[in-house]
Amino acid sequence: MLRNVFLKTVRDQSRALLFWGFGLVGLSLYATLFYPTIRDMPELNKLVEGLPEALKVMFLGEMGDFTSPVGYLNTELFFLWMPILFLVFTIGFGSGAIAGEEERGTLDLLLSHPLPRWRVVAEKFSAMVVASLALAFALWVGLAIGVTAVNMDISLGRVAEATLSGSLLGLVFGMVTLALGCATGNRGLSIGGAGALAVAAYILNSFARLTEVLKPYRKLSPFYYHVTSDPLANGLNLGDAGVLMGLIVALLVVALITFQRRDLAV
Amino acid sequence: MSNTVIRTQGLTKFYGRQRGVVDVNIQVERGEVFGYLGPNGAGKTTTIRLLLDLIRPTRGQASVFQMDTRRRGVAIRRRIGYLPGELALYENLTGAELLRYLGHLHGGVEWRYVAQLAARLECDLSQRIRSHSHGNKQKLGLIQAFMHRPELLILDEPSMGLDPLMQQEFYRLIGEAKAEGRTVFLSSHILPEVERVCDRVGIIREGRIIAVEDLATLKSRALRKLEIHFATSVPKEAFARVAGVRDVAVNNGVLRCTVVGTLDALIKAAAQFQVINVITHEPSLEEIFLTYYGGGESHAA
Repeated sequence: MLRNVFLKTVRDQSRALLFWGFGLVGLSLYATLFYPTIRDMPELNKLVEGLPEALKVMFLGEMGDFTSPVGYLNTELFFLWMPILFLVFTIGFGSGAIAGEEERGTLDLLLSHPLPRWRVVAEKFSAMVVASLALAFALWVGLAIGVTAVNMDISLGRVAEATLSGSLLGLVFGMVTLALGCATGNRGLSIGGAGALAVAAYILNSFARLTEVLKPYRKLSPFYYHVTSDPLANGLNLGDAGVLMGLIVALLVVALITFQRRDLAV
Repeated sequence: MSNTVIRTQGLTKFYGRQRGVVDVNIQVERGEVFGYLGPNGAGKTTTIRLLLDLIRPTRGQASVFQMDTRRRGVAIRRRIGYLPGELALYENLTGAELLRYLGHLHGGVEWRYVAQLAARLECDLSQRIRSHSHGNKQKLGLIQAFMHRPELLILDEPSMGLDPLMQQEFYRLIGEAKAEGRTVFLSSHILPEVERVCDRVGIIREGRIIAVEDLATLKSRALRKLEIHFATSVPKEAFARVAGVRDVAVNNGVLRCTVVGTLDALIKAAAQFQVINVITHEPSLEEIFLTYYGGGESHAA
Protein backbone atom coordinates (compact mmCIF):
# COMPACT_ATOMS: atom_id res chain seq x y z
CA MET A 1 0.00 0.00 0.00
CA LEU A 2 3.02 2.28 -0.05
CA ARG A 3 3.93 1.87 -3.69
CA ASN A 4 2.85 5.33 -4.78
CA VAL A 5 1.14 8.53 -3.71
CA PHE A 6 -2.30 7.27 -4.72
CA LEU A 7 -2.11 4.09 -2.66
CA LYS A 8 -0.49 5.85 0.28
CA THR A 9 -3.30 8.41 0.29
CA VAL A 10 -5.98 5.71 0.23
CA ARG A 11 -4.10 3.84 2.96
CA ASP A 12 -3.98 6.94 5.17
CA GLN A 13 -7.75 7.23 4.81
CA SER A 14 -8.51 3.55 5.25
CA ARG A 15 -9.58 3.76 8.87
CA ALA A 16 -11.67 6.86 8.25
CA LEU A 17 -13.23 5.14 5.25
CA LEU A 18 -14.15 2.14 7.36
CA PHE A 19 -15.91 4.27 9.97
CA TRP A 20 -17.62 6.39 7.37
CA GLY A 21 -18.70 3.25 5.52
CA PHE A 22 -20.26 1.72 8.61
CA GLY A 23 -21.90 5.02 9.46
CA LEU A 24 -23.44 5.33 6.02
CA VAL A 25 -24.69 1.74 6.05
CA GLY A 26 -26.22 2.41 9.45
CA LEU A 27 -27.80 5.66 8.31
CA SER A 28 -29.34 4.12 5.21
CA LEU A 29 -30.62 1.12 7.15
CA TYR A 30 -32.16 3.43 9.73
CA ALA A 31 -33.83 5.51 7.03
CA THR A 32 -35.25 2.57 5.11
CA LEU A 33 -36.33 0.47 8.07
CA PHE A 34 -38.31 3.45 9.31
CA TYR A 35 -40.17 3.68 6.03
CA PRO A 36 -43.11 1.29 6.79
CA THR A 37 -44.17 3.54 9.67
CA ILE A 38 -44.30 6.56 7.34
CA ARG A 39 -46.02 4.65 4.54
CA ASP A 40 -48.88 3.78 6.85
CA MET A 41 -49.47 7.39 7.78
CA PRO A 42 -50.95 9.06 4.68
CA GLU A 43 -52.05 11.98 6.83
CA LEU A 44 -48.35 12.92 7.03
CA ASN A 45 -48.59 14.30 3.53
CA LYS A 46 -51.25 16.77 4.64
CA LEU A 47 -49.10 17.77 7.56
CA VAL A 48 -46.12 18.37 5.32
CA GLU A 49 -48.21 20.29 2.82
CA GLY A 50 -49.21 22.62 5.61
CA LEU A 51 -45.61 23.55 6.34
CA PRO A 52 -44.36 26.97 5.22
CA GLU A 53 -42.86 26.94 1.72
CA ALA A 54 -39.54 28.30 2.93
CA LEU A 55 -39.14 25.39 5.31
CA LYS A 56 -40.02 22.90 2.63
CA VAL A 57 -37.59 24.17 -0.01
CA MET A 58 -34.89 24.47 2.58
CA PHE A 59 -35.03 21.05 4.15
CA LEU A 60 -37.31 18.74 2.23
CA GLY A 61 -36.49 19.27 -1.42
CA GLU A 62 -38.83 18.95 -4.35
CA MET A 63 -40.93 16.23 -2.98
CA GLY A 64 -44.08 14.99 -4.43
CA ASP A 65 -45.59 12.31 -2.28
CA PHE A 66 -43.70 12.10 0.97
CA THR A 67 -45.07 8.64 1.70
CA SER A 68 -44.00 7.17 -1.64
CA PRO A 69 -40.64 5.35 -1.65
CA VAL A 70 -39.00 7.89 -3.96
CA GLY A 71 -40.41 10.92 -2.15
CA TYR A 72 -39.47 9.49 1.19
CA LEU A 73 -35.84 8.63 0.30
CA ASN A 74 -35.31 11.93 -1.47
CA THR A 75 -36.52 13.85 1.54
CA GLU A 76 -34.85 11.71 4.13
CA LEU A 77 -31.54 11.19 2.39
CA PHE A 78 -30.70 12.44 -1.05
CA PHE A 79 -31.82 16.03 -0.81
CA LEU A 80 -29.95 17.13 2.29
CA TRP A 81 -28.24 14.48 4.35
CA MET A 82 -26.26 12.67 1.76
CA PRO A 83 -24.83 15.88 0.24
CA ILE A 84 -23.91 17.18 3.70
CA LEU A 85 -22.12 13.99 4.68
CA PHE A 86 -20.32 13.62 1.37
CA LEU A 87 -19.28 17.25 1.42
CA VAL A 88 -17.87 16.95 4.92
CA PHE A 89 -15.86 13.97 3.77
CA THR A 90 -14.57 15.39 0.48
CA ILE A 91 -13.78 18.80 1.95
CA GLY A 92 -11.76 17.08 4.67
CA PHE A 93 -10.04 14.94 2.08
CA GLY A 94 -9.39 17.80 -0.33
CA SER A 95 -7.92 20.03 2.36
CA GLY A 96 -5.55 17.37 3.59
CA ALA A 97 -4.29 16.41 0.16
CA ILE A 98 -1.93 19.27 -0.67
CA ALA A 99 -2.41 22.10 1.83
CA GLY A 100 -2.48 19.64 4.73
CA GLU A 101 0.80 18.05 3.72
CA GLU A 102 2.28 21.44 3.08
CA GLU A 103 1.35 22.72 6.53
CA ARG A 104 2.71 19.60 8.19
CA GLY A 105 5.91 20.07 6.18
CA THR A 106 5.94 16.66 4.50
CA LEU A 107 5.27 18.10 1.05
CA ASP A 108 8.86 19.35 0.93
CA LEU A 109 10.18 15.82 1.34
CA LEU A 110 7.63 14.35 -1.07
CA LEU A 111 8.37 16.79 -3.87
CA SER A 112 12.11 16.47 -3.46
CA HIS A 113 11.58 13.05 -5.02
CA PRO A 114 11.47 12.57 -8.78
CA LEU A 115 7.75 13.31 -9.05
CA PRO A 116 6.26 16.05 -11.18
CA ARG A 117 3.92 18.21 -9.16
CA TRP A 118 0.97 17.49 -11.45
CA ARG A 119 1.30 13.81 -10.70
CA VAL A 120 1.04 14.31 -6.96
CA VAL A 121 -2.14 16.34 -7.46
CA ALA A 122 -3.52 13.82 -9.95
CA GLU A 123 -2.85 10.86 -7.67
CA LYS A 124 -4.39 12.59 -4.66
CA PHE A 125 -7.39 13.52 -6.80
CA SER A 126 -7.78 9.91 -7.92
CA ALA A 127 -7.64 8.78 -4.31
CA MET A 128 -10.43 11.22 -3.45
CA VAL A 129 -12.57 9.92 -6.31
CA VAL A 130 -12.04 6.31 -5.30
CA ALA A 131 -12.77 7.08 -1.65
CA SER A 132 -15.98 8.92 -2.56
CA LEU A 133 -17.13 6.08 -4.77
CA ALA A 134 -16.38 3.61 -1.98
CA LEU A 135 -18.58 5.64 0.37
CA ALA A 136 -21.29 5.83 -2.28
CA PHE A 137 -21.09 2.08 -2.57
CA ALA A 138 -21.44 1.66 1.21
CA LEU A 139 -24.50 3.88 1.17
CA TRP A 140 -25.96 1.88 -1.69
CA VAL A 141 -25.33 -1.43 0.11
CA GLY A 142 -27.13 -0.16 3.21
CA LEU A 143 -30.04 1.07 1.10
CA ALA A 144 -30.20 -2.16 -0.88
CA ILE A 145 -30.45 -4.20 2.30
CA GLY A 146 -33.04 -1.87 3.81
CA VAL A 147 -35.13 -1.54 0.66
CA THR A 148 -35.25 -5.31 0.26
CA ALA A 149 -36.02 -5.87 3.95
CA VAL A 150 -39.04 -3.57 4.02
CA ASN A 151 -40.14 -4.33 0.46
CA MET A 152 -39.92 -0.77 -0.84
CA ASP A 153 -41.10 -0.47 -4.39
CA ILE A 154 -37.97 1.18 -5.80
CA SER A 155 -35.32 0.10 -8.28
CA LEU A 156 -31.87 -0.54 -6.84
CA GLY A 157 -30.44 0.72 -10.11
CA ARG A 158 -32.14 4.09 -9.55
CA VAL A 159 -30.81 4.11 -5.99
CA ALA A 160 -27.34 3.60 -7.38
CA GLU A 161 -27.80 6.46 -9.85
CA ALA A 162 -28.99 8.84 -7.13
CA THR A 163 -26.05 7.83 -4.95
CA LEU A 164 -23.64 8.45 -7.80
CA SER A 165 -25.17 11.85 -8.43
CA GLY A 166 -24.72 12.77 -4.76
CA SER A 167 -21.11 11.69 -4.76
CA LEU A 168 -20.42 13.76 -7.89
CA LEU A 169 -21.81 16.76 -6.04
CA GLY A 170 -19.53 15.96 -3.11
CA LEU A 171 -16.56 15.71 -5.42
CA VAL A 172 -17.25 19.15 -6.89
CA PHE A 173 -16.77 20.70 -3.47
CA GLY A 174 -13.91 18.37 -2.66
CA MET A 175 -12.22 19.72 -5.78
CA VAL A 176 -12.98 23.31 -4.76
CA THR A 177 -11.12 22.55 -1.53
CA LEU A 178 -8.24 20.81 -3.27
CA ALA A 179 -7.89 23.62 -5.81
CA LEU A 180 -7.92 26.31 -3.10
CA GLY A 181 -5.26 24.31 -1.24
CA CYS A 182 -3.18 23.95 -4.39
CA ALA A 183 -3.40 27.65 -5.12
CA THR A 184 -2.72 28.94 -1.62
CA GLY A 185 -1.25 26.16 0.49
CA ASN A 186 -3.57 27.33 3.25
CA ARG A 187 -5.61 24.49 4.69
CA GLY A 188 -7.94 26.61 6.80
CA LEU A 189 -8.70 28.86 3.88
CA SER A 190 -9.46 25.93 1.62
CA ILE A 191 -11.92 24.44 4.11
CA GLY A 192 -13.54 27.78 4.90
CA GLY A 193 -13.79 28.79 1.27
CA ALA A 194 -15.29 25.52 0.09
CA GLY A 195 -17.64 25.33 3.08
CA ALA A 196 -18.92 28.86 2.55
CA LEU A 197 -19.36 28.21 -1.14
CA ALA A 198 -21.30 25.01 -0.44
CA VAL A 199 -23.69 26.71 1.97
CA ALA A 200 -24.23 29.58 -0.46
CA ALA A 201 -24.83 27.15 -3.33
CA TYR A 202 -27.32 25.16 -1.28
CA ILE A 203 -29.27 28.22 -0.22
CA LEU A 204 -29.25 29.61 -3.75
CA ASN A 205 -30.63 26.40 -5.17
CA SER A 206 -33.32 26.12 -2.50
CA PHE A 207 -34.60 29.67 -2.42
CA ALA A 208 -34.35 30.25 -6.15
CA ARG A 209 -37.50 28.17 -6.36
CA LEU A 210 -39.40 30.67 -4.28
CA THR A 211 -37.97 33.99 -5.36
CA GLU A 212 -38.25 35.23 -8.92
CA VAL A 213 -35.13 37.36 -8.47
CA LEU A 214 -32.91 34.36 -7.80
CA LYS A 215 -34.48 32.01 -10.31
CA PRO A 216 -32.14 32.80 -13.23
CA TYR A 217 -29.12 32.14 -11.06
CA ARG A 218 -30.22 28.75 -9.86
CA LYS A 219 -28.15 27.01 -12.46
CA LEU A 220 -25.03 28.50 -10.92
CA SER A 221 -25.49 26.21 -7.96
CA PRO A 222 -23.99 22.72 -8.30
CA PHE A 223 -26.85 21.46 -6.09
CA TYR A 224 -29.22 22.22 -8.95
CA TYR A 225 -27.63 19.46 -11.03
CA HIS A 226 -28.07 16.89 -8.31
CA VAL A 227 -31.59 17.74 -7.20
CA THR A 228 -33.62 19.00 -10.13
CA SER A 229 -33.59 16.04 -12.46
CA ASP A 230 -34.48 13.75 -9.52
CA PRO A 231 -32.18 10.82 -10.36
CA LEU A 232 -33.96 8.57 -7.88
CA ALA A 233 -37.18 8.81 -9.88
CA ASN A 234 -35.87 9.41 -13.38
CA GLY A 235 -32.35 8.00 -13.36
CA LEU A 236 -29.15 9.92 -13.78
CA ASN A 237 -29.60 12.84 -16.15
CA LEU A 238 -26.51 12.68 -18.31
CA GLY A 239 -26.55 16.39 -18.99
CA ASP A 240 -26.67 17.29 -15.30
CA ALA A 241 -24.13 14.68 -14.31
CA GLY A 242 -22.00 15.95 -17.17
CA VAL A 243 -22.09 19.48 -15.74
CA LEU A 244 -20.92 18.17 -12.36
CA MET A 245 -18.14 16.17 -13.99
CA GLY A 246 -17.16 19.15 -16.11
CA LEU A 247 -16.88 21.25 -12.96
CA ILE A 248 -14.70 18.61 -11.34
CA VAL A 249 -12.37 18.49 -14.34
CA ALA A 250 -12.23 22.28 -14.63
CA LEU A 251 -11.32 22.59 -10.95
CA LEU A 252 -8.70 19.89 -11.37
CA VAL A 253 -7.12 21.89 -14.17
CA VAL A 254 -7.12 25.00 -11.95
CA ALA A 255 -5.50 22.98 -9.18
CA LEU A 256 -2.80 21.61 -11.48
CA ILE A 257 -1.93 24.98 -13.01
CA THR A 258 -1.87 27.00 -9.80
CA PHE A 259 0.14 24.36 -7.96
CA GLN A 260 2.65 24.03 -10.77
CA ARG A 261 3.44 27.72 -10.65
CA ARG A 262 3.90 28.64 -7.07
CA ASP A 263 6.56 28.38 -4.38
CA LEU A 264 6.01 25.75 -1.75
CA ALA A 265 5.96 26.90 1.84
CA VAL A 266 8.67 25.49 4.09
CA MET B 1 31.90 16.33 -20.54
CA SER B 2 31.98 18.95 -17.88
CA ASN B 3 32.24 17.85 -14.30
CA THR B 4 30.20 20.63 -12.87
CA VAL B 5 27.38 19.29 -10.73
CA ILE B 6 25.88 22.52 -9.40
CA ARG B 7 26.13 25.93 -10.96
CA THR B 8 24.15 29.01 -10.06
CA GLN B 9 24.31 32.31 -11.90
CA GLY B 10 22.98 35.45 -10.29
CA LEU B 11 20.52 33.30 -8.39
CA THR B 12 18.19 35.61 -6.53
CA LYS B 13 15.08 35.03 -4.50
CA PHE B 14 12.85 37.52 -2.79
CA TYR B 15 9.76 36.53 -0.81
CA GLY B 16 7.68 39.57 -1.54
CA ARG B 17 10.02 42.29 -0.29
CA GLN B 18 11.82 40.00 2.10
CA ARG B 19 15.32 38.98 1.10
CA GLY B 20 15.98 35.30 0.46
CA VAL B 21 19.26 35.20 -1.46
CA VAL B 22 20.85 37.78 -3.77
CA ASP B 23 23.10 37.09 -6.77
CA VAL B 24 24.40 33.75 -5.60
CA ASN B 25 27.09 32.36 -7.89
CA ILE B 26 28.46 29.01 -6.87
CA GLN B 27 29.92 26.11 -8.71
CA VAL B 28 30.36 22.62 -7.29
CA GLU B 29 32.39 19.96 -9.09
CA ARG B 30 31.84 16.24 -9.20
CA GLY B 31 33.27 14.34 -6.22
CA GLU B 32 33.52 17.44 -4.08
CA VAL B 33 32.20 17.90 -0.57
CA PHE B 34 31.04 21.48 -0.62
CA GLY B 35 30.16 23.22 2.61
CA TYR B 36 27.61 25.99 2.61
CA LEU B 37 28.34 27.96 5.71
CA GLY B 38 26.34 30.75 7.20
CA PRO B 39 24.37 31.79 10.26
CA ASN B 40 20.70 30.91 10.55
CA GLY B 41 18.56 32.99 8.23
CA ALA B 42 21.44 33.73 5.86
CA GLY B 43 19.70 32.02 2.93
CA LYS B 44 21.14 28.51 2.99
CA THR B 45 17.78 26.75 2.93
CA THR B 46 16.48 29.15 0.28
CA THR B 47 19.39 28.25 -2.00
CA ILE B 48 18.82 24.53 -1.47
CA ARG B 49 15.09 24.75 -2.14
CA LEU B 50 15.81 26.67 -5.33
CA LEU B 51 18.10 23.84 -6.47
CA LEU B 52 15.29 21.34 -5.85
CA ASP B 53 12.72 23.48 -7.68
CA LEU B 54 10.56 23.66 -4.56
CA ILE B 55 10.66 27.44 -4.95
CA ARG B 56 11.36 29.51 -8.05
CA PRO B 57 14.02 32.17 -8.48
CA THR B 58 13.05 35.83 -8.71
CA ARG B 59 15.90 36.14 -11.19
CA GLY B 60 19.04 34.30 -12.11
CA GLN B 61 19.38 30.68 -12.94
CA ALA B 62 20.53 27.42 -11.43
CA SER B 63 21.50 24.14 -13.01
CA VAL B 64 22.23 20.74 -11.53
CA PHE B 65 23.97 18.09 -13.64
CA GLN B 66 23.95 20.78 -16.33
CA MET B 67 20.18 20.73 -16.42
CA ASP B 68 18.06 23.77 -15.71
CA THR B 69 16.28 23.38 -12.37
CA ARG B 70 13.11 24.97 -13.67
CA ARG B 71 12.74 22.74 -16.71
CA ARG B 72 14.33 19.43 -15.76
CA GLY B 73 13.39 19.20 -12.08
CA VAL B 74 12.21 15.60 -12.18
CA ALA B 75 15.30 14.33 -14.01
CA ILE B 76 17.51 16.23 -11.57
CA ARG B 77 15.74 15.00 -8.46
CA ARG B 78 16.04 11.41 -9.63
CA ARG B 79 19.78 11.70 -8.98
CA ILE B 80 19.60 13.63 -5.70
CA GLY B 81 19.29 12.59 -2.09
CA TYR B 82 17.90 15.42 0.02
CA LEU B 83 17.72 15.97 3.73
CA PRO B 84 15.43 18.94 4.53
CA GLY B 85 16.52 21.41 7.18
CA GLU B 86 13.16 21.32 8.86
CA LEU B 87 12.50 17.65 8.53
CA ALA B 88 8.85 16.62 8.71
CA LEU B 89 8.00 12.95 8.28
CA TYR B 90 4.76 10.98 8.02
CA GLU B 91 4.21 10.46 11.72
CA ASN B 92 1.62 7.73 11.26
CA LEU B 93 4.10 5.41 9.54
CA THR B 94 6.85 3.32 11.05
CA GLY B 95 10.42 4.03 10.01
CA ALA B 96 10.45 0.99 7.73
CA GLU B 97 7.15 1.99 6.09
CA LEU B 98 8.40 5.52 5.48
CA LEU B 99 11.59 4.27 3.85
CA ARG B 100 9.70 1.78 1.69
CA TYR B 101 7.37 4.51 0.52
CA LEU B 102 10.14 6.96 -0.29
CA GLY B 103 12.13 4.12 -1.84
CA HIS B 104 9.26 3.35 -4.19
CA LEU B 105 9.10 7.02 -5.17
CA HIS B 106 12.73 6.64 -6.22
CA GLY B 107 11.82 3.60 -8.25
CA GLY B 108 12.92 1.06 -5.66
CA VAL B 109 15.93 0.75 -3.39
CA GLU B 110 18.05 -2.15 -2.28
CA TRP B 111 16.61 -3.02 1.13
CA ARG B 112 19.79 -4.66 2.35
CA TYR B 113 21.55 -1.35 2.04
CA VAL B 114 18.74 0.43 3.90
CA ALA B 115 18.98 -2.04 6.75
CA GLN B 116 22.73 -1.61 6.79
CA LEU B 117 22.42 2.18 7.03
CA ALA B 118 19.86 1.83 9.81
CA ALA B 119 22.18 -0.48 11.74
CA ARG B 120 25.11 1.87 11.36
CA LEU B 121 23.11 4.83 12.58
CA GLU B 122 21.43 2.70 15.27
CA CYS B 123 17.99 3.64 14.03
CA ASP B 124 15.04 1.49 15.05
CA LEU B 125 12.80 1.12 12.00
CA SER B 126 9.97 -0.75 13.66
CA GLN B 127 8.66 2.14 15.77
CA ARG B 128 6.03 4.60 14.65
CA ILE B 129 7.70 7.86 13.74
CA ARG B 130 5.32 9.69 16.08
CA SER B 131 7.12 8.12 19.04
CA HIS B 132 10.63 8.83 17.72
CA SER B 133 12.97 11.29 19.39
CA HIS B 134 14.26 14.21 17.36
CA GLY B 135 17.58 12.45 16.86
CA ASN B 136 15.90 9.34 15.54
CA LYS B 137 13.87 11.31 13.06
CA GLN B 138 17.04 12.98 11.86
CA LYS B 139 18.59 9.54 11.34
CA LEU B 140 15.59 8.49 9.23
CA GLY B 141 16.08 11.66 7.25
CA LEU B 142 19.70 10.75 6.63
CA ILE B 143 18.89 7.16 5.67
CA GLN B 144 16.30 8.27 3.12
CA ALA B 145 18.80 10.71 1.63
CA PHE B 146 21.50 8.06 1.26
CA MET B 147 19.50 4.91 0.57
CA HIS B 148 19.23 5.12 -3.21
CA ARG B 149 22.95 5.95 -3.53
CA PRO B 150 22.36 9.28 -5.25
CA GLU B 151 25.04 11.02 -7.27
CA LEU B 152 24.44 14.23 -5.37
CA LEU B 153 23.58 14.57 -1.71
CA ILE B 154 22.02 17.85 -0.64
CA LEU B 155 21.96 17.98 3.13
CA ASP B 156 20.50 20.93 5.00
CA GLU B 157 21.98 21.12 8.50
CA PRO B 158 22.51 17.36 8.57
CA SER B 159 24.05 16.86 11.98
CA MET B 160 21.35 18.72 13.85
CA GLY B 161 20.01 16.61 16.68
CA LEU B 162 22.58 13.83 16.25
CA ASP B 163 24.56 12.82 19.30
CA PRO B 164 28.38 13.02 18.93
CA LEU B 165 28.80 9.31 18.25
CA MET B 166 26.28 9.38 15.44
CA GLN B 167 27.88 12.53 14.07
CA GLN B 168 31.09 10.53 13.64
CA GLU B 169 29.19 7.83 11.80
CA PHE B 170 27.59 10.47 9.64
CA TYR B 171 31.00 11.95 8.78
CA ARG B 172 32.12 8.47 7.79
CA LEU B 173 29.12 8.18 5.46
CA ILE B 174 30.10 11.46 3.86
CA GLY B 175 33.65 10.20 3.47
CA GLU B 176 32.44 7.03 1.79
CA ALA B 177 30.22 8.95 -0.58
CA LYS B 178 33.16 11.10 -1.54
CA ALA B 179 35.39 8.05 -2.00
CA GLU B 180 32.80 6.65 -4.41
CA GLY B 181 33.02 9.84 -6.44
CA ARG B 182 29.69 11.23 -5.37
CA THR B 183 29.11 14.89 -4.66
CA VAL B 184 27.94 16.37 -1.38
CA PHE B 185 26.44 19.80 -0.83
CA LEU B 186 26.09 20.37 2.87
CA SER B 187 24.84 23.41 4.71
CA SER B 188 25.84 24.22 8.23
CA HIS B 189 26.16 27.05 10.67
CA ILE B 190 28.96 25.29 12.55
CA LEU B 191 32.47 26.04 11.30
CA PRO B 192 34.26 23.04 12.88
CA GLU B 193 31.83 20.67 11.23
CA VAL B 194 32.44 22.21 7.84
CA GLU B 195 36.19 22.16 8.44
CA ARG B 196 35.98 18.56 9.29
CA VAL B 197 34.21 17.20 6.22
CA CYS B 198 34.36 19.71 3.41
CA ASP B 199 36.85 20.30 0.62
CA ARG B 200 35.57 23.74 -0.20
CA VAL B 201 33.36 26.16 1.61
CA GLY B 202 31.01 28.85 0.40
CA ILE B 203 30.25 31.42 3.03
CA ILE B 204 26.88 33.14 2.90
CA ARG B 205 25.78 36.08 4.95
CA GLU B 206 22.53 38.00 4.72
CA GLY B 207 21.67 36.37 1.42
CA ARG B 208 24.99 37.03 -0.31
CA ILE B 209 28.01 34.83 -0.87
CA ILE B 210 30.91 36.65 0.76
CA ALA B 211 33.63 34.11 0.03
CA VAL B 212 34.35 30.72 -1.43
CA GLU B 213 37.49 29.20 0.05
CA ASP B 214 39.15 25.87 0.02
CA LEU B 215 39.70 24.16 3.27
CA ALA B 216 43.40 24.95 3.54
CA THR B 217 42.75 28.69 3.30
CA LEU B 218 39.95 28.44 5.78
CA LYS B 219 42.11 26.52 8.22
CA SER B 220 45.00 28.95 7.90
CA ARG B 221 42.53 31.58 8.94
CA ALA B 222 41.33 29.57 11.86
CA LEU B 223 40.40 31.88 14.65
CA ARG B 224 40.43 30.68 18.20
CA LYS B 225 39.77 32.22 21.55
CA LEU B 226 42.22 30.82 24.03
CA GLU B 227 42.48 30.84 27.76
CA ILE B 228 45.68 29.60 29.44
CA HIS B 229 45.80 29.14 33.18
CA PHE B 230 49.29 29.34 34.75
CA ALA B 231 50.51 28.28 38.17
CA THR B 232 51.85 31.77 38.85
CA SER B 233 51.13 35.17 37.47
CA VAL B 234 52.76 35.85 34.12
CA PRO B 235 53.88 39.09 32.46
CA LYS B 236 51.70 40.36 29.69
CA GLU B 237 54.78 41.33 27.65
CA ALA B 238 55.70 37.67 27.27
CA PHE B 239 52.72 37.22 24.92
CA ALA B 240 51.95 40.62 23.51
CA ARG B 241 54.23 40.24 20.53
CA VAL B 242 53.84 36.54 19.79
CA ALA B 243 53.01 35.94 16.13
CA GLY B 244 49.30 35.54 15.36
CA VAL B 245 48.22 36.47 18.86
CA ARG B 246 45.94 39.41 19.53
CA ASP B 247 43.59 40.83 22.14
CA VAL B 248 45.98 39.79 24.90
CA ALA B 249 44.76 40.20 28.46
CA VAL B 250 46.47 38.82 31.53
CA ASN B 251 44.79 38.62 34.90
CA ASN B 252 45.96 36.64 37.98
CA GLY B 253 47.91 34.09 36.01
CA VAL B 254 45.17 33.68 33.41
CA LEU B 255 45.93 34.67 29.84
CA ARG B 256 43.08 35.40 27.48
CA CYS B 257 43.77 36.04 23.81
CA THR B 258 42.68 35.44 20.24
CA VAL B 259 44.87 33.37 17.95
CA VAL B 260 44.86 33.50 14.18
CA GLY B 261 46.17 30.47 12.31
CA THR B 262 48.49 28.04 14.03
CA LEU B 263 48.87 27.86 17.80
CA ASP B 264 52.55 26.94 17.59
CA ALA B 265 54.11 30.28 18.56
CA LEU B 266 51.80 30.79 21.48
CA ILE B 267 52.30 27.30 22.87
CA LYS B 268 56.06 27.75 22.69
CA ALA B 269 55.82 31.07 24.47
CA ALA B 270 53.59 29.58 27.14
CA ALA B 271 55.92 26.60 27.69
CA GLN B 272 58.41 28.74 29.63
CA PHE B 273 55.84 28.98 32.42
CA GLN B 274 54.06 26.27 34.35
CA VAL B 275 50.78 25.64 32.53
CA ILE B 276 47.79 24.26 34.43
CA ASN B 277 45.05 24.35 31.86
CA VAL B 278 44.31 25.39 28.29
CA ILE B 279 40.77 26.22 27.24
CA THR B 280 39.82 27.08 23.68
CA HIS B 281 36.57 28.50 22.47
CA GLU B 282 35.32 28.23 18.93
CA PRO B 283 34.56 31.72 17.75
CA SER B 284 31.07 32.41 16.46
CA LEU B 285 30.56 32.81 12.75
CA GLU B 286 29.88 36.48 13.32
CA GLU B 287 33.32 36.93 14.87
CA ILE B 288 34.94 35.21 11.91
CA PHE B 289 33.02 37.38 9.50
CA LEU B 290 34.07 40.48 11.40
CA THR B 291 37.68 39.41 11.39
CA TYR B 292 38.05 38.34 7.79
CA TYR B 293 35.25 39.71 5.77
CA GLY B 294 34.84 43.10 7.35
CA GLY B 295 31.48 42.09 8.73
CA GLY B 296 29.80 43.23 5.56
CA GLU B 297 28.29 46.64 5.12
CA SER B 298 24.74 45.48 4.62
CA HIS B 299 23.16 46.18 7.94
CA ALA B 300 20.05 47.63 6.44
CA ALA B 301 17.30 45.30 7.63
